[in-house]
Parts: sequence; structure tokens; C-alpha cells
Amino acid sequence: MAKPSSPPHVSARLRDATVPWLLPAVILVGWQAAVSAGFVSNRFMPAPLDVLRAGRDAVRTGEIWTNLGISTLRALAGFAVGGGIGFALGLANGLSRLSERLTDTSVQMVRNVPHLSLIPLVILWFGIGEEAKLFLVALGVFFPIYANTLHGIRSIDPALVEMGEVYGMSRAELFRRVILPGALPSIFVGLRYALGIMWLTLIVAETISASSGLGYMAMQAREFMLVDVVVLAILIYALLGKLADTLTRALERACLAWNPAYRSA
Amino acid sequence: MLTETLSRDALAPGDTRPEPSAPARRAVSTGEASRGLAVTVRDLHKSFEANPVITGLDLHLPAGSFTAIVGRSGCGKSTLLRLILGLETPTSGRIAVEAPPALSARAVPPRRIMFQEPRLLPWARVVDNVAVGLTGLGTKAERRNRAGAALEEVGLADKAGQWPATLSGGQRQRVALARALVSHPGLLALDEPLGALDALTRIGMQDLIERIWRAQGFTAILVTHDVAEAVALADRILVVEEGRIALDLRVDVPRPRRRGDPDLARLEGRILDHLLGTPQAA
Repeated sequence: MAKPSSPPHVSARLRDATVPWLLPAVILVGWQAAVSAGFVSNRFMPAPLDVLRAGRDAVRTGEIWTNLGISTLRALAGFAVGGGIGFALGLANGLSRLSERLTDTSVQMVRNVPHLSLIPLVILWFGIGEEAKLFLVALGVFFPIYANTLHGIRSIDPALVEMGEVYGMSRAELFRRVILPGALPSIFVGLRYALGIMWLTLIVAETISASSGLGYMAMQAREFMLVDVVVLAILIYALLGKLADTLTRALERACLAWNPAYRSA
Repeated sequence: MLTETLSRDALAPGDTRPEPSAPARRAVSTGEASRGLAVTVRDLHKSFEANPVITGLDLHLPAGSFTAIVGRSGCGKSTLLRLILGLETPTSGRIAVEAPPALSARAVPPRRIMFQEPRLLPWARVVDNVAVGLTGLGTKAERRNRAGAALEEVGLADKAGQWPATLSGGQRQRVALARALVSHPGLLALDEPLGALDALTRIGMQDLIERIWRAQGFTAILVTHDVAEAVALADRILVVEEGRIALDLRVDVPRPRRRGDPDLARLEGRILDHLLGTPQAA
């Protein structure tokens, strides 16, 4: 962005920080006004203040923390399993022709099946226990991590690999110093996609079959016509998504500082 | 290390450098100062699939010499360089890269190549890129120290902590040169390393390469399109045509050479006449 040494520095930074939140703020105010004035029935759409109240109650009873904690744990466990396998297979197929020829076609076939369509099958297999959610999240997260890791390794400049070989790097050194850092930007793209899919899958799975978690909380609220809690749950998803994105960005900036595309701004 | 050799060179210019036109003197001088490797090529053939690229080439490059290889695109000059470096395997024939007897008792110095592009690792800082040239040697701290010294040699000591993306094209190529030289190679192959640089930067790089070559005494092989560059830098110029050496010229102009020297211009003209005058077989 602008040179940080310019004089209107503080106000410029303040402006940069507030501009992204302007639109959400305007929507909130408009929403509150529309409900208060009676344009929108609060049976269908609760006012922001009602949602806030619902949030306060949920915090007070501790219900929100339990559900948030359970959902987060499920999401992370599924992500670790699916992401780990996807990363490992992506590396294997990027580095070994044989491994790629053996597995890539099968993976590409399975990839085209929407993983949420497996929900009925998964319920048959695992019931509504933790395994079902873990399986679905892992499956959803697997593909973007796999595909982007593979693509990252594929797209490494062969000239750099040749340079490493000329300078006598061993296979392990070549991997650590040339191939992995070169694939990292693409792996991060996969990570971002995967985080999105992680929440999506989990919420859907919890909505359909669960006895705890955020998705379950929203479904319960629907049964009792607690619209404010439903909207609260949706807002929490939005915040979680933003949080995951912010963390990934910070990680990218730390790991990819060499890349002008990721430096500051 | 580098600075020592440099100052010795400054006291007695010419002594550290073998005189290619005087084989008897060369034998004496290489024993003392040169760490160069000698290259001998016998009846070399190389084909890619059915395409012959090198067709029966013989060549001897004495230790410490500076040879330029020029020729049209696709004449096989880059392939010859890659063969000498061991990056390609010959279809038939023999390539020997040997240390002179005085040196062979100790560890044989490495061979290095400088590519057309800098090929720096974008995710490693400049000093770590140079340290790649010391892969497998010494501790990390030693590698960094020597890399820093090599950067100083090419005039980029102040850029050590930067990312390659922040450097200009000429600076990146200087980092690549430092990386090639940091291990004190016995043979440096230059594969059109200056082709992508602007004219002024290129002249600066040519002077730098010549100065370091005179100081370190490695054997240099320069592949280039630019006949003026070949004439300015080399002791000997080989014109390669259809996979064979078509012309072998000595450049007996004393160093330091002045740009625009009439002798150099005459040589350049002769080579260009040869390159342009010979109709290329389809």
C-alpha cells in the first residue's frame, strides 16, 4: 500500500482498518431499523439486538462454549486426518511417477462425487456418532489439499531442481530446500479451500445427524422456533470462517515472505 | 583466501595466468597458481533421439585457460558444455576432466556451471543462495561466512540478507556467479550467462568475470552468442558448426583488453564473416 513514511500515516491506517467493516455495519443498522419499524416480522428475521441477547444468554448458560468446543474439536480432528492423508499422497504422487500412475486416476474419479452425497451411507455405517462427522470432514478436506500439493510439486521450475542437483544436493536436501518451499504457495491455496470445506461439511453433518455442536444447536432452535438462535449460529459460522482465513493469511505471510505477492498489503 | 590471491595477482600480473600460446610456460605456471582442471574430449558423439547434435568432436582445454564457444542457435554448443559438465551422457566418445598432477594429490576442485538464468532459490536469502554452492561442505556458519566473502567479491555484500526478488537482473546474475565461485571450482562453465542483461551491465559483468578468473585461475568455458563478448574475454575461440569445431582461433591480445581495440575488432569481424558466410545446411 502507501509508503508508511508519509505524514497522514495514522489516519490512513485507521481508514484502511475501518473500510472493510463499513458494509457489515451499514447492513446491521439497516436490518435493525427494518425490524424495529415493522417492515420485517421478527418471527422470520430477528433484529440484531435480539440476536445479541440470544448470544448473551447462550454465553451465560455456557451452552455456546460447549457446542463451539465440540464443533471445533471435530473440525480439527477431521482436518488433521484428511489433510494429513491428502498432503502425504500429494507429495508421494508429485515425487513418484509410479505412485501417481497407481492412484491418481482413482482419486480423480472419487473427487467428482460430492462428498456430502455420502451422508446416508455414512449414517448407515457409523450411525450418528463422532466417526461419521470425522469421516465426512476428512473426506472433504482431503481433495483440495491433495490436488494443490500435487500441483505445487508439479509446477516447480525444473531448472531449479537441476541447479540443486548440479550443486550436489541429496534427495532429502533437494526436497527440503527446493521442492517443498516451491510447492508451499500452492499448498496454502489448498489449505484455504480445505478450511472452508471443513466448516461447511461439519455444519451440514451436525445439522443432519448429531446430538451436540453448533449445527445441532441451530437445528434445535429451529424446532422451538427460536429464530434468534438460528441467526446467532449462522453469524458464528461467519466469524469462524473469517477467523480461519485470518490465521491462514498470517501463516502465509510468515512462510511466504520471500514472495512479493504475499509481502505486506 | 580470495583477497590473498587477488593481491598476489596485482603484484605480478600475468604470472598467475597460464599463457595458452606457450605450452612450455603453461606447464610451469599451472603448477604454482592455477587450480584449473584440464578437459580432453575425444571423438564425441551425442544424439537426442535420432537427432545428431555433436558429431565427432575432439578438443583439449588446458588447465586455467579461458575458452569461448560461439556458434549459431542449435549448433550444439550448449550441449557440448552440458556434456563436459556431466549433465548429459555422451552417445559415444570420451570426456576427461582432470586435475593437473601437482593438484591431484589433494581433493579435486569441483566443476560449476552458471546458467543463462540466475536460477536462485526465491525463498532463500541472497547469502543462503550463495551458500548453496557449498552444499555438503563444512558447518552452516562456515558456509555463511564463505558465502559472505564471495558476495563481497562480486560487490553485493550489502545485499546478503535480501530476497532475490528485490534484486535487479544484473545483481541476480552476480549472486549466481558468487554461488558458482564460492567453492573455488577448478572448472567454470558459463552458458550464456549474460544474454539477458542490458549492454552496460553486461560489460560490467564481463570485467568481473575476467578479474575473478585471473585471480582464481580456474578453467573457464564460455558459451555465447555474442562474438564481441567472446573476443573480449577468451584466450581461444571455438566456432562450433553442425556439432563439430569449424574454427579454432587464438586471441593473443594482452589483458586488460580495451573495448574497441582494433585487433579485437578484426578478430570479431573474421568470426562473424565465418558465421554469416557459411550457408547453414537445412
